[in-house]
Amino acid sequence: MPSPPKLQEIVDDFASMTREEKIETLIAYSESLPPLPERLKKDRDSMDSVPECMTPVFLRGEKEPDGGMVFHFDIPRESPTVRGLASILASGLNGSTPEEVLSVPADFFMPMNLQEAISQQRINGFIGILAHMKQAAVKLL
Amino acid sequence: MAYVHPEYLVETEWVAARSNDPNVRIIESDEDPLLYPIGHIPGAVQVDWFTTLQHPVRRDFLTKEQFEEVASHLGITNDTTVVFYGDKSNWFACYALWLFQYYGHENVRVMNGGRLKWEKEGRPLVKDVPSYAKTAYRAKEADQSIRAFRDEVLKQSKSKKPLVDVRSPKEYSGELISMPNYPQEGATRGGHIPGAVSIPWAQAVNEADSTFKTPEELRALYEGKGIKSDEEVIAYCRIGERSSLTWFVLKYLLGYPQVKNYDGSWTEWGNLVDAPIEK
Repeated sequence: MPSPPKLQEIVDDFASMTREEKIETLIAYSESLPPLPERLKKDRDSMDSVPECMTPVFLRGEKEPDGGMVFHFDIPRESPTVRGLASILASGLNGSTPEEVLSVPADFFMPMNLQEAISQQRINGFIGILAHMKQAAVKLL
Repeated sequence: MAYVHPEYLVETEWVAARSNDPNVRIIESDEDPLLYPIGHIPGAVQVDWFTTLQHPVRRDFLTKEQFEEVASHLGITNDTTVVFYGDKSNWFACYALWLFQYYGHENVRVMNGGRLKWEKEGRPLVKDVPSYAKTAYRAKEADQSIRAFRDEVLKQSKSKKPLVDVRSPKEYSGELISMPNYPQEGATRGGHIPGAVSIPWAQAVNEADSTFKTPEELRALYEGKGIKSDEEVIAYCRIGERSSLTWFVLKYLLGYPQVKNYDGSWTEWGNLVDAPIEK
């Protein structure tokens, strides 16, 4: 099953970029990750976390009245790679239904060829973040 | 009481004063490779523990010749003072320093506090990537006295000599065997090497600014757990990066004469058939 179109578009964009463009774009994604909404800050402690990740990642998935999901993240600024990966997933999947989020293949990022920019180890962060987004989606089915 | 080899540690202001010093090369070595392109100390170059310093095929470091090539491209001569700094309390800065020492570069320093302290002090970070004239660096034969391999580690364990496990308490106890986000860094078995004492790396640094603790605090920490300078000490973690920070502390700040880093660490030991494990 293919990824939702917005995510697929990002994957295709990355596939055609040079190494330098990938780094710049990843930094831009990391910088554009919206801050956690004020209303969620007070219950950040109860948010779904990614405890096994070395970078503390907090995420909350919500469903809009139209059925589309919105993901909110809180990730420290000193971890731009993880922020960038989360930001790509949020940009690609915000507005998708929980079913669509669950259908994203675990290896959706392979064609992006990110390992030439940030090495395979870091790209695996995608797997953990996506897994937690799917856990949030399951609760909203 | 002072650090035993204080010359291996420099402060941020020392580095700030030497951004343009041709005899000094500042190297950023991070866990997160995007930090350098976002902004780094003026004049600094980047190495990545994986893409720059690891052998492209084998699980090993660069060969001597490959290391010479990397050092030459960074404009480092055999006399250059090389200063390392990075994120995560200088884990990967210490790892890169350890590798430079492995290939015989004596003149190395760690910037106390790393990126965190530099940023907290409001010092400048720039995006310009400098380039330096290529040199003809000549490395020495690898210095095996600072690197432990599995057979020696087994001997160390069997003869009840000091082994320091610097991972988190849950990794030491075996509750946590791998990190799902780091599949290549997993192990099929959890626990620790028999006889190893648990001294998490983070206990050696101050959380607020990533600087190293005082000589008194460090001595009390390690000696208090029975890790003394009269015997050879081997440190390990999961992939050998956190333990290179502990190696730096024991070897230079406390001046232990014989300290080795077991870079195979738990990703090797926890997958090794027939290796003894304690839980």
